[in-house]
Amino acid sequence: MNGRHLSIIAKKEFRGLVNERTILLAILLQLFLAMFSSFLMVGLTSMYDPSSLSQYSHFRYRVAYAGNDSPVLDYLEKSPDFRVYRMDLSPAVAALQERQLAAVIYVPGTPPDAAGPVKITLYTLTNDIQSAIVDVNLKDTFLAYERDLRQVREYRLDEQPIPVQIPASTGGGFFEFVYGLLIPLLVFMPAIISSALVIDLITEEYQHETIETLISTPVTFAEIVWGKVLACELLVPVQAGVWLALLMVNRIPIENAGLILLDVAVTSLILILLGALTALHYRERTAAQFIFSTALVVVILFVLALPENPLNLITRLAVGMAGTDQWLILGTAVIAVLVLGYVTHRYAEKTGLEHHTA
Amino acid sequence: MGAIKDIATIARWEVKKSVSVMSRDVLPIAVVLFVLLIIVTGFVAQSGLHLQDGMYRLGVDDPKVAGIFTSDTRFTVYETDTASLLANRDAFDVIITGGQAYGSPTEKGKSALQTLQRDYTSYTNGVYTKEGDLFAAYPLWIDVQNVKSELDFVSTQNGQLVSSAPSAAAPPEPQGGVTTIPTPSPTIGFTQEQLRQELVKSSSQTSPISRYTQVLTPAGASMGSFETPSQLSPPLPFDSIILVFVFIFPLYFTSQFFMMSIMNERIERKGEVLLSLPVRASSIIIGKALPYLLGMVSICAGLTFYLRASPIIILPLIPVIFFFLANALLIGMLSRSFKELSFVSIFFSTVATSYLFFPSIFANVHVISLISPLTLIVLTLQGTAWTVTDYLYSTALFWLTSAVLFYIAAVNFREERLFSEKRLLPRLREFLAETLSRRHPYVSLFLLAVFSIPFVFMVQMLCLVLFFNLPMPYSLVLLIVFAALIEELAKAVGVYTLFVQDPSFLSWKGLVAACAATAIGFLAGEKLLLFVTLSQITQSVFGSVLFLSLGVLWMPLAIHFAGVFIVACALKYGGRRGFVAGLAAATAIHCLYNLTIILGWIG
Repeated sequence: MNGRHLSIIAKKEFRGLVNERTILLAILLQLFLAMFSSFLMVGLTSMYDPSSLSQYSHFRYRVAYAGNDSPVLDYLEKSPDFRVYRMDLSPAVAALQERQLAAVIYVPGTPPDAAGPVKITLYTLTNDIQSAIVDVNLKDTFLAYERDLRQVREYRLDEQPIPVQIPASTGGGFFEFVYGLLIPLLVFMPAIISSALVIDLITEEYQHETIETLISTPVTFAEIVWGKVLACELLVPVQAGVWLALLMVNRIPIENAGLILLDVAVTSLILILLGALTALHYRERTAAQFIFSTALVVVILFVLALPENPLNLITRLAVGMAGTDQWLILGTAVIAVLVLGYVTHRYAEKTGLEHHTA
Repeated sequence: MGAIKDIATIARWEVKKSVSVMSRDVLPIAVVLFVLLIIVTGFVAQSGLHLQDGMYRLGVDDPKVAGIFTSDTRFTVYETDTASLLANRDAFDVIITGGQAYGSPTEKGKSALQTLQRDYTSYTNGVYTKEGDLFAAYPLWIDVQNVKSELDFVSTQNGQLVSSAPSAAAPPEPQGGVTTIPTPSPTIGFTQEQLRQELVKSSSQTSPISRYTQVLTPAGASMGSFETPSQLSPPLPFDSIILVFVFIFPLYFTSQFFMMSIMNERIERKGEVLLSLPVRASSIIIGKALPYLLGMVSICAGLTFYLRASPIIILPLIPVIFFFLANALLIGMLSRSFKELSFVSIFFSTVATSYLFFPSIFANVHVISLISPLTLIVLTLQGTAWTVTDYLYSTALFWLTSAVLFYIAAVNFREERLFSEKRLLPRLREFLAETLSRRHPYVSLFLLAVFSIPFVFMVQMLCLVLFFNLPMPYSLVLLIVFAALIEELAKAVGVYTLFVQDPSFLSWKGLVAACAATAIGFLAGEKLLLFVTLSQITQSVFGSVLFLSLGVLWMPLAIHFAGVFIVACALKYGGRRGFVAGLAAATAIHCLYNLTIILGWIG
């Protein structure tokens, strides 16, 4: 193995990437994803966490109350979110259809301690973002009433749950999403892109029949493969680093950024070597990419199902929760890299011999 | 008749070729991987996804309380005595002592409290569902009746207020007729055991894996519209995410094969044989695409059958399949190398998946979700009916764009285009140039403008989806700028292409005529498509930004003309480098125009 040869091959690949401006597309792609994830943050997480939706507007929704008196009416009247009107059911629903109201509640005269349940009928509008917000606000009211009823009927319960008082917390809704999903996803994406790239780089030499020219140079076949792996590997921490920097600029504090990059660099090398092996075996892009992407899904799913996996390590590093076991995970990954690296090297040497004799 | 025979022959060749490539040793490994995938999926279902393990530190002084939360792997639970808990409070995100939880005041602490709350609720639900007297544990049931409003989402943009001023003390009086609503029965028509089963089922859905499978076989239907208060929440988008992947992934894979097959014809001029056949290019393309089309449709049909869903969900998928194939064809024809192919196709599939997926998140919440055909699938699976208009509304753009893309591919499926080694953008321009006739440049420009409309709308829709969740003034401003930029770009492309081919084309007479042809074409296309499909969005505030030009005719025509004219002049004087400057100027003027109209409209 000659370091200079490796860097020549890696440089050649970088030149190709820059020349074709494909690297631009890759960056554009990631930017696009970032844009969408910011959309995700607001849109999706507000669905996960409806309380952030209701902060949306400080508006008293007009609701109608029909049927018999109950504590629900008091709760609604006291709530800052609602303006309640006592109405008959039919005109109330008609007014709802005209959007003069946001919801109609009908409460029957069931006594609190009846054998059967109290059934409240709630009329809301279909397909409406507003009724989603109203539902969220009404839910609190209904939950309060449910607590009251449970207390009345408490003596009928066989077993009481262990009481834990949890203070209502506001905010923090994006935290789990950002650290537990977005950051591992964004940081890991360059690894997936690079592993697909290495397949293209290797199969291209075969399908464009440039491999013979390359082999006739002093560079050995194994060096060619390693040079390509090197080029792809170098791209990963750079892109992941830019991601982390961007997130930090957006006031998302990330701890242990250096360790995260180390983790990503090692883990991505596993994927890239897997890609290189697949490409060496098939020497044809369609088959190699198909097999590799299927294998990738299997591997990633399997790894995610294991506790203490490298992706989880990214999350824990980012929130500053990784203990000494991180070195164990990293060590396992390094061993995997060494084994795969050895297999790739032998395979490449063997293939190189075949090419020379042929 | 001859064409059909040609197509059949080429389709047969295509199948034979791909089978020979595949069968070597791809198929056995693919089968092994597939079996592994099933095993791994089972493993994941059992062990769960461990992405968020150990995010929070939880300190507890009561082993019984600790037992509630140890099953949630997000918490690392520490059990110690009260005194040391209080002494090391800062080391924990949450501590629970004496049955009271305290969170640290950080974002992480707040988030941990929320997770704790959710876990506790599911614990109490677990206890309550085992109660002998279910109605003591769940004394309150909500029967949610959805009422269809006569007014549409026109009035409720983005959570804007519907009702009139809230200050009115008097109850609202319905303006129209009042239909008598029967007084709801105070009893639930289900036994305790039926309700208990449903509660157990819905609480088991908290595991992310089981939730995927629940949607696909419509659950909870037996319980009708009854919910306990804690179940009353906006529908989670998780299900549509999974749906998208179940249906889109196989389509994406298959279109990759098609893309590669096209690309392979171009490597080392292997496709010359095919081109030398006495067969029309369109027949070659259709013949090559046919096996993949049939494959994709049968995959979808198989999935539908497997999920025991209504076969009607194939209808919205067909335009999506065409769209994927058309794009695969063009990408295969355009890219120079495998790297380029990979990046362009990954880019395309990300954008397309976002376009398909993000709107469908809002399937139950907002009408805007209908711009994605996948929403129709979500609706079908839920058992909600949709109309022919809905179908047209959500699929028209897919049909139109695929047709245009196939046409562009067909006219360019020739030697000098396929085997050229130019860069991506010049190649794109050449492809476009091929569709423009030399003898009738103005007619071509007119048609190009007309047919660019579906693409413009598609991109604008994507922007609409992107921006619609930003706070109100920003979303509107961004939308105004992007809408203008996209329109100006689409209009300028034709003139630019002609100019690059032959700079002398832009004599003053030619320039004015070209601009007029483009402007008229753009206006005609816009109005045509609008009237067919998009009336729902056009009436909203956002719609008024995108499709302002419905009002008076001469004003939009003038602004369309002015836009291209600026760009054309910039080209004439600045050459190719003037293009960007001209585009910026045209966009700015377009924005100003839009702003004045909107301000006049609203204020």
